[in-house]
Amino acid sequence: MEKEAIKKNDTGWKNGMAKNITFIVTKDCQLACKYCYLVGKNEKERMSWEVAKMAIDYILDQEDDMQEESVVWDFIGGEPFLEIELIDKICDYLKIEMFQRNHHWFNSYRFSFSTNGINYDSEKVQEFIRKNRDHLSIGITIDGTEVKHDLNRIYKVTGKGSYKSVVRNIPLWLEQFPYGGTKVTISSPDIPYIKESVLHLYSLGIKEININVVFENVWKEGDDKLFEEQLMSLADAIIDEGYYKDYACSFYSENIGKPLDPILENTNWCGAGRMLAVDANGIFYPCTRFAQYSLRDKKAWTIGNVNDGIDKNRLRPFLVLDRLSQSKQECIDCEIASGCAWCQGENYDAAESNTIFQRSTAICKMHKARVRANNYYWNKLYRKLELEGQREEYEKNKKEVKQEIC
Amino acid sequence: MLQYLIILLDDTSTSYCHYENPKKDAGLIPLNILKAGIRFGMVENLMIQFVYPDYELPGEYKEAIESIDHSKIVSSLCNDKSLADEADVIVFHDWSGISYAMTFPDKSYVLRTTKAKLFERYLFLKEFLSKVARLNIVITDIETFDDGDYEQYKLILHTLSENIEKMYVDGLAPQLNLLTDRIMLKEMNNCGAGDTNITLAPNGKFYICHAFYIENEDDCIGDVKRGLDIKNKQLYKLKYSPICSHCDAYQCKRCVWLNRKTTLEVNTPSHEQCVVAHLERNSSCELLKSIRKHGKFLPETEIQEIDYLDPFDKRKEW
Ligand code: SF4
Ligand code: SF4
Ligand code: SF4
Repeated sequence: MEKEAIKKNDTGWKNGMAKNITFIVTKDCQLACKYCYLVGKNEKERMSWEVAKMAIDYILDQEDDMQEESVVWDFIGGEPFLEIELIDKICDYLKIEMFQRNHHWFNSYRFSFSTNGINYDSEKVQEFIRKNRDHLSIGITIDGTEVKHDLNRIYKVTGKGSYKSVVRNIPLWLEQFPYGGTKVTISSPDIPYIKESVLHLYSLGIKEININVVFENVWKEGDDKLFEEQLMSLADAIIDEGYYKDYACSFYSENIGKPLDPILENTNWCGAGRMLAVDANGIFYPCTRFAQYSLRDKKAWTIGNVNDGIDKNRLRPFLVLDRLSQSKQECIDCEIASGCAWCQGENYDAAESNTIFQRSTAICKMHKARVRANNYYWNKLYRKLELEGQREEYEKNKKEVKQEIC
Repeated sequence: MLQYLIILLDDTSTSYCHYENPKKDAGLIPLNILKAGIRFGMVENLMIQFVYPDYELPGEYKEAIESIDHSKIVSSLCNDKSLADEADVIVFHDWSGISYAMTFPDKSYVLRTTKAKLFERYLFLKEFLSKVARLNIVITDIETFDDGDYEQYKLILHTLSENIEKMYVDGLAPQLNLLTDRIMLKEMNNCGAGDTNITLAPNGKFYICHAFYIENEDDCIGDVKRGLDIKNKQLYKLKYSPICSHCDAYQCKRCVWLNRKTTLEVNTPSHEQCVVAHLERNSSCELLKSIRKHGKFLPETEIQEIDYLDPFDKRKEW
């Protein structure tokens, strides 16, 4: 009998255990996506080379405090590729400095980008890719079908959809990064398009889709039901048409929907505080979501700056934050708690006081719907594998799946 | 559980803790608010503590205050000298006061001091300790401690501990929060602001503590008319502090105001607060051993030797 592998989502480079350092190189973007959490985007704040260099010098000087085996140098915006010349200079400097200092991150680093894909084929971006090919991960955001994508991802100036400008670059991207994945973010108006969007992305050749619902409190009456129906119908398509062999969609995971042990499974969900972000003004944040342009109702949560360094006291709450200290009893006792994610930045933004210790549960009914559809998916898939004599093979090759939320 | 209501009788009420009160203009609590505060304390079954300004209060205020069981916190510089006798806690803001003031053997005293002054003048404390029921030392700049300060503080605690040991041998039972509290305690006994106590300010609003009122009057947690509304009130409880709930420096103030100032979270202490409290804890452990050399003393109490000064450093073992 022919062996069938089941495609699982990538668990992230170095299993997500690398230090993640983000440069917010610009707060500008060609698009004005409707769901974009960056409420304070602007054209003025672009990182200067001086600030970038000071940040790098400071970070590399702190080798003793940054013991993670590997590093992901992440570049975000706005749209990071708008600043490709600066990024190129930063990356050159990083490589030289890590080498000259004999830093333990030399040879264990990646440059990572999440781009809207619009100027992916530009000469400068392509030159950068050629130069750094072995240390790159680039994700292009495309939301699904043209209708779904253009519902949200519109040009700032014209208000027109950006689908065509992005999709023309997908073949080149997949040629260069055959395992490139895309992140899809679902908000209330996107729910009816989930199934067709995922299948459309598969049809473009994108094998890995990391898909999440937003953490903000945007959900309307009945959204959960509709969401569940979409996920079940997508499950039918993935299983009936055999996509599960080569394609992955992070909505379905065997690890979600189980109770969590209060002692053994008490870790925080996200890596804020273990990550580090720096903006154009040289201010350090526990993650980009704590920068002012990402926050609706709260003041920026800074942890230092390139001149004075990081205030370690301000990192302490992030490094001791656990599930129980921020969750309501209902979540602690929840029978389907595993996989129910949160974003520390959104928690802070939505909290009743200035704290990261109040978990936002706006996602609750959507997680419950996801768990039901997920149960359906695995029951159906296992039955099929069973009938086809594939189940044992599958159980043997099982891998952990990690949901990426930011 | 809420047990105490602290009422600030004036905007210039004395600081009795880590913060400074820079307010210079008198702003007496309106009598109706004072009475409403007292009523709140009565119906909620709270023990009331009044914090006095340095001038004498009008007669009707004294009357209102005496209408309820309470304790008084008064500055040593208060002009109403009759209060020196009535006060339950007398606060010194400087060291000259402590050398010359008339002391009462049955009263508790607070000495607010910077680390520099403490390091310079700690030898004065020996005599003072033998004359009073209890002395609480509050260091007003804990957040500025550095490695050199920790070393010096350790030596000072050692000297004070030797003094206290001698007093015990002489049959006295001095109480100095930094060294004797940990020996007596079996569980955490922290400041409790926002959990066991709240503060009523002269504007009729409640605050987590006096320091929160001074820092930002908008940062209130309710008022006498509508009652209390503490957002995320669980965060003031020990259980919701991941670091403190793994700690046995039971004497530590666990100052939620300093926590917020240094780490931005009321439930997360700074490294400096933890190290200072652990130096005290470890010196208390030494003191206990020294006293026991002279005979049986608190046989039930045990303070373990530990290899850290900041529980945060042990977080991987939690
Ligand atoms: S938010 Fe809802 S689904 Fe998630 S853990 Fe809490 S109760 Fe469970
Ligand atoms: S929180 Fe407590 S220990 Fe801190 S200043 Fe206020 S009263 Fe003092
Ligand atoms: S020493 Fe630190 S951890 Fe312990 S109670 Fe004090 S502030 Fe909390």
